[in-house]
Amino acid sequence: MASVDIVNVKKSFDRAEILRGVSVAIEDGEFVVLVGPSGCGKSTLLRMIAGLETITAGEIRIGDQVVNDLAPRDRDVAMVFQNYALYPHMTVADNMAFSLKLRGVARPEIETRVQRAAEILGLTGYLKRRPKQLSGGQRQRVAMGRAIVRDPRVFLFDEPLSNLDAKLRVAMRSEIKELHQRLKTTMIYVTHDQIEAMTMADRIVVMREGSVEQIGGPLELYDTPADLFVAGFIGSPAMNMLKGTLELGGRTGFSAENGVFVPLAPSPALEGLAGRPLVIGIRPEHLRIVGDGEDGFAVGAKIVEPTGSETQVTATAGDAEIIALFRERQTIRQGDTLRLAPVHYHLFDAKSTERCASIGIDHGA
Amino acid sequence: MKKNILHETLFYLVVIFISLMVLFPFLWMLSSSFKTQTDIIAWPPKLIFTPTLQNYEKVFGEQDFLKYFINSTVVGGLAVGLSLVLGLPAAYSISRFTQRKLALFILLARLMPGISFLMPWYIIFSRLNLMDTYVALVLSHMLIALPIVVWIMSSYFNSIPVELEESAMVDGATRQYAFWAIILPMSGPGIITSVTLSFIFSWNNFMFSQVLSMEKTRTLPIAVYNFVSYAEVDWGGVMAAAVAIMAPAIILTMIFQKFVVKGLTMGAVKG
Amino acid sequence: MRRPSYIEKYLPILFPLPAVIFIALLMIFPILYTLGLSFTNWNLTSGMPMSFVGLRNFGRVFAEPRFLDAVWRTLSFTFLAVFVEAVLGTVIALILNRTFIGKSLTKLLLLLPLVATPVAVGIVFNLFYDPTIGLANWALSSLGLPQGLWVSDANSVLVSLVIVDVWQWTPMITLIVLAGLAGLSEEPFEAARVDGATQWQVLRYVTIPMVMPTILTAVILRLIDALKTFDIIFAMTGGGPGYASETLNIMGFKYSFEYFRMGQASVILIALFFFVLLCSLGIMKLRSTSES
Repeated sequence: MASVDIVNVKKSFDRAEILRGVSVAIEDGEFVVLVGPSGCGKSTLLRMIAGLETITAGEIRIGDQVVNDLAPRDRDVAMVFQNYALYPHMTVADNMAFSLKLRGVARPEIETRVQRAAEILGLTGYLKRRPKQLSGGQRQRVAMGRAIVRDPRVFLFDEPLSNLDAKLRVAMRSEIKELHQRLKTTMIYVTHDQIEAMTMADRIVVMREGSVEQIGGPLELYDTPADLFVAGFIGSPAMNMLKGTLELGGRTGFSAENGVFVPLAPSPALEGLAGRPLVIGIRPEHLRIVGDGEDGFAVGAKIVEPTGSETQVTATAGDAEIIALFRERQTIRQGDTLRLAPVHYHLFDAKSTERCASIGIDHGA
Repeated sequence: MKKNILHETLFYLVVIFISLMVLFPFLWMLSSSFKTQTDIIAWPPKLIFTPTLQNYEKVFGEQDFLKYFINSTVVGGLAVGLSLVLGLPAAYSISRFTQRKLALFILLARLMPGISFLMPWYIIFSRLNLMDTYVALVLSHMLIALPIVVWIMSSYFNSIPVELEESAMVDGATRQYAFWAIILPMSGPGIITSVTLSFIFSWNNFMFSQVLSMEKTRTLPIAVYNFVSYAEVDWGGVMAAAVAIMAPAIILTMIFQKFVVKGLTMGAVKG
Repeated sequence: MRRPSYIEKYLPILFPLPAVIFIALLMIFPILYTLGLSFTNWNLTSGMPMSFVGLRNFGRVFAEPRFLDAVWRTLSFTFLAVFVEAVLGTVIALILNRTFIGKSLTKLLLLLPLVATPVAVGIVFNLFYDPTIGLANWALSSLGLPQGLWVSDANSVLVSLVIVDVWQWTPMITLIVLAGLAGLSEEPFEAARVDGATQWQVLRYVTIPMVMPTILTAVILRLIDALKTFDIIFAMTGGGPGYASETLNIMGFKYSFEYFRMGQASVILIALFFFVLLCSLGIMKLRSTSES
């Protein structure tokens, strides 16, 4: 077990800059998820920690050891690959034993370790089989077993669940989380799926175009996204965003470019934000339907999608599309006009895209 | 319905016709090899005759034929074996480090006319006193086998996910050990394809052996060719010799049919 | 603290190095040697020392009718044979591109000519072509046609040789095109059928355009090999009668190993080399366009 320190790490291929100076400090025993759209450099960063990619500039430390020039085999990390990378000509047991054999671990020791890993992962009955004879989920477990037997300082996961179907993915998600709680080894996990990131991580590193956008706990990212990118990336369905300006004199509200006026309650946090181009961000679940006497903005319901536990409404406000999510049962029909008001909302600077205010967010909840 | 049956019949007739066209020279060679000289020179050509083994007795009775057979096998075997030793790491390197120029460089050996290196070899090998030795023949046949091995194996390695080595490397192996312990053991089909194909091409090679071998290391194609020049009229013996030389290549092809087809077609299809 | 071993670091160089050295020594060096020899006047048997003659060999060989004939013959043989093979091979592949009883056997049969020893194939065809006892003349006469001399006649020898080449290599085109057809995805065909295309239109507007790159590559591969055809011609006619079937490859062989006129032989080889190179460039061009 060890901490992992990534200090101002850069990577370029020829002229293309893949990583533009990334710094992340990962504590011992932490479960950190690197998340971002494809091409953001998250996999490259993981592969640099593993030693599979060279480091153009900067420093990576595992424990107190700088590993920049260390071969993958000398870093004492284990990695689970997206396609599992099981050795097709070896049995499940041999697959798991391979790394131990390389290290010259004694045979009885290998056997007990493989046996123990198999028990943890429910693979005891499959040790004699070849990878071809296993289902997708079982292969995934073997890949993890191969990592577990090593008892490495750090576990690395490169989109390990993306080849599984939706149901299995949810199941394996909790299994990996459980495994982390059991082993308490540092884990670094790469995914493009923000739900995976939210559900599994102690801390999430959101990346975009080779840079870190924000680092924080799942709820921290959800409640106080650093900028428009993180705000749009975290949360599903995505946050509603409207461009416009804040009006403070007279009737307080957000006047969007498309003509929609979102009335807002006056707040000291809004001081000084009027007049400059802003973006208002409201999560679908933070919209409520208001009665005739209350302040709100009118939208036309376009699509109504009840799932039982909640109702998702896609509505039009001016030329913009607004998505609202209601936990309560609603009797909305297509074509109805609704009046909505935000319970919570964020304001972002339109130019720098950075968040300047979050109103109504109750951090305690 | 009726039209369909007619269509099907016609189709199978065409298939049979194509097959016969392909097969006919083999059948004629085979049947002639069992004919006496009188039956062969009979006019019109005889389709029904009393088979005889005398041609084969003659061909195999000459002890030399066995020697040529052994020569061909040894030269082909060594050339293919050494080509694997040189070619597998090169193919791996081409595949994993995307060395396209290197691939082209080795492909050049497959494209260039053999005679443009044969003449200098003749001069050099003569100077080095290597004429009529296995060394000269094996080296020359390696130039046939090596490009085939590299060509086939580099596309085969391309089909193996690189994560397999990466996983082994993270697990404690060096890259070269991962190549040895992970990649090679699962390359059986590719190796079979390249071995079969390059052995057949070495086996069939005429030009190199014709120039570089004499009595001591003479290979089968030269022996068969000489058989014609010396025994112009002994068609039965020649046909028996032709059967004997083609049989191993054909048997190999039958056993490894799928691999041979793959090896012969993959370059063009991927193109 | 261990650093990556040197072997591992230089693997991209170390792994291919033996093969590269081998090819450099056995191919590149000899080719350069050939190039060098073309500027010398050297007869291996005369015992005279080599002397530099500049471009005189080129002038002499290029002026020789025998050489010009050989160039023309090489090109006619190559283009005639490959043209017939391409058309026939593609047609057969299109016919066989369906499921039928005995398909794998048929494919095995198609494979046999490709692996048959060319020298032996040549000898078997010589038996066919024999004017007095051969099947070829028997077939002609039973059809009521005049008999021919086949490879013994300067007028028919080249066509007779083309027939052998066609027999041996048409299956190569067929197998390659079949593999190409098998690799095509089903959807465009289904789409075309749904759009109301007739079988003929599907063939004309979907199938053939889609396998065209495969056909082209196969044809260029064949062109390169046909330019270099040696075994069959050498075994069947030795370039004769007279010089009537002497291609560049055969002529180069004779100049090298029968007359031992190394300087002039080099010029002939360079000429052959040039044509092969031209086709090879074609292949590389095709590759780079299909990649982009």
